[in-house]
Amino acid sequence: MSVRAPAEVLSTADVAEVVRAAHSAGAPLRVLGSGRWSGAGSPAARVGADLPTLSLAKLTGVVAYVPSDLTLTVRAGTTLAELNAITAPNNQWCPLLSWGDDDGTIGATFATATAGPCANALGRPRDIALGVEFVDGTGTTIRGGGRVVKNVAGFDLTRLMVGAFGTLGVITEVTVRLRARPTVDRTLCVAPRTADVELAAIIRRADVQPIACESIDERLAGALSLPAGCVIARYGGNAALVEAGHAGASAAGEVTEIDASVWTRLRALDPHPRRLDGDPFATSVARRLKERFDPAGVLNPGVFGANPGSVS
Amino acid sequence: MFYRVRACDRSTAVGPDDGCAASCRYNSFVDPLATSLATTLAGIVGTRHVTTRAVELLVYENDGLPGYHKRPRMMVSPGTRDEAIAVVRALAAADTPFVARGAGTGLSGGALADGIVLVGMHRMRRIIAIDPVAMTATVEPGVVNATLSRAALPHGLHYAPDPSSQTACTIGGNVAENAGGPHCLKYGVTLNHVAAATVALPDGELIVLEAPRNDDIGYDLLGAFVGSEGCFGLAVDVTVRLTQNPARICTMLADFVTVDGAAEAVSAIIAAGIVPAALELIDAGTIAAVEASIYAAGYPTDAAAALIIEVDGPVAGLDDDVAAIKAICSESGARTVRTATNPAERARLWQGRKKAFGAMGRVAANLAVQDAVVPRTKLAPILRAIAEIGERHGIRVCNVFHAGDGNLHPNIPYNGDDADESARVHAACKEIMELCIAEGGTITGEHGVGLDKLPYMDALFSPDSLDAMCRLRDAFDPARRANPGKVVPVHRCREWMAAPGARK
Repeated sequence: MSVRAPAEVLSTADVAEVVRAAHSAGAPLRVLGSGRWSGAGSPAARVGADLPTLSLAKLTGVVAYVPSDLTLTVRAGTTLAELNAITAPNNQWCPLLSWGDDDGTIGATFATATAGPCANALGRPRDIALGVEFVDGTGTTIRGGGRVVKNVAGFDLTRLMVGAFGTLGVITEVTVRLRARPTVDRTLCVAPRTADVELAAIIRRADVQPIACESIDERLAGALSLPAGCVIARYGGNAALVEAGHAGASAAGEVTEIDASVWTRLRALDPHPRRLDGDPFATSVARRLKERFDPAGVLNPGVFGANPGSVS
Repeated sequence: MFYRVRACDRSTAVGPDDGCAASCRYNSFVDPLATSLATTLAGIVGTRHVTTRAVELLVYENDGLPGYHKRPRMMVSPGTRDEAIAVVRALAAADTPFVARGAGTGLSGGALADGIVLVGMHRMRRIIAIDPVAMTATVEPGVVNATLSRAALPHGLHYAPDPSSQTACTIGGNVAENAGGPHCLKYGVTLNHVAAATVALPDGELIVLEAPRNDDIGYDLLGAFVGSEGCFGLAVDVTVRLTQNPARICTMLADFVTVDGAAEAVSAIIAAGIVPAALELIDAGTIAAVEASIYAAGYPTDAAAALIIEVDGPVAGLDDDVAAIKAICSESGARTVRTATNPAERARLWQGRKKAFGAMGRVAANLAVQDAVVPRTKLAPILRAIAEIGERHGIRVCNVFHAGDGNLHPNIPYNGDDADESARVHAACKEIMELCIAEGGTITGEHGVGLDKLPYMDALFSPDSLDAMCRLRDAFDPARRANPGKVVPVHRCREWMAAPGARK
């Protein structure tokens, strides 16, 4: 028996209703944000396209935002572009800048633990997620974490949801830690003076480290109209710090200042595709998690390649 | 033998949630079993490292939080990774619950073993490897936090999370509690610094948990394990990330005539986009205790509050941040902003902060160290409300805390032998927790729930959410033998309640 999701899921209660019905009927669901992750090669593409879709795209909007606290609680379907629009007037940002584009939802970004070029310096989804609300595979609504920047109350359901690809629960709301935007934000293209130099490593080891640093190979160079073998580096901070970063990059190679829009284009090219081998259900702990949070196996079956719908 | 149940021992107040239900079966006097288990464990770790003698177990009755005393049935301390694994497997074979303990500096009663086996990790103090290129260290769980940083110093590195107990607390304990510290404002808490852990699950299975990388997929089991308060298994080795020592550090002391002014400066500094390495608030009560002690740091005793503000990083740009911070403090009403210009002065400024808990020993014999987090913008009104709660109960609340994170530590010095005062302290702590929850905060930012915060979990999380936490725990420890009765009130675990014969 198949369960149809309502055309528009507008609230957590709607999500719970859909999942509860799916759980009762043992009928799997394909859980999606705005569907940006379902392209060829992504784990989400492994979920049967013929399954009823539970789309979170309409579950949008701000739940709580106190700019001075640098925390933001939004519904899961809110896009990264909307997040930017909400925080930019206060000179803040959610610095995920995940691989892909800004039409992706915050819920999917967390569910897929998608990082971006600033992850090393400014945090991955697991580092900036403060709390989640989700609906587990039985249709029960659960909250983990909170809305404050530091919290060790209870077992960490937030970390459990980040990167679980919706297989343990459907994220309906997230609280993220924001940052103030850097006063000065400068992007440099650094070209090597000699061919065999390990440019990115030198830049990363300099006194002033960039907030993002990516090597541009042949494929990326063509798409971005940049010289192959160059490195693009982003420096953020006060003027003196960025100036020193610029000087450090100049010592490593030939430097040209370029427009920050290069990052948007780079993110769309997905320079670090996921490795899709390995079996996330290889450990007993992961198998037991699946049993306990989605006993009927209705949430995104097959997303990890294995068949979590029939775990024993 | 001398043993006194203190008036403030809350084992009865906490009631059925304090883990008693889970461990009563093991409290009963079943010596033949205990003897046989002790013999088995002695066969693994050597007779010297197993004790069942009451007088030797006395030292394990407490952790760093006064008011809780639980006597373990026996203590076993493995000396190596293999011994630790064998101990866990022997406990599994005997179907015996256990509690792991590092240095016993915890502040939530989390490492207390009520009539069950205590696994002391204090002998496993070996730093297995430091990789200066990968900037990681692999250590046994009993390695002391500050010892690791000292060992990393020749490589220009340190281990960033720095709880006030860092000269005594262990990495294993830090991982269990997801420990914080002043410098976590900039560098992140323990979770952000653990790269991998080898864990003996309570059923004896050995698993390696690794922090997810950019390119792989799967559940973040390590993220769930860090901060699981010893309820998910026993870490037998931990790989942590080390952090480059900053090229320059500048520590400031700003003093204010009002607490509101100090709180306002905290928000303004963060809002300006400056991420200080640390941003700590010390109130008048704490300053008085510190300045009267051997840890005197030269804090102004007539100030209502002082901020310790530290910035670090590359030399470039640091002076500009210092100038900006000084300007913000002045605008918020700071009388003076002093800058420590050399390592000795810096160490002195920090000494008062880090030893503040010790200094309060001068005020009274016992100290309730509380821990809660509130939205940073509400610091000023909440501190006023806390002072009012203290006055109403006739007790003194001294605040010394991580203001940049909104992570409060209201500390209450009291006389534990005075039953009335102890009861008033308990009542005040409860009101402070309820206040923080009502203001959108949480009941612990870095000390953990343990036993102390169990009564507040119902106010913070719905029954469904608490049940989900039980299910998460069950994925690691289906038999619930690791640190039973901690973190989540037992009555919130449905499966547990549904299985009457399960483990009473």
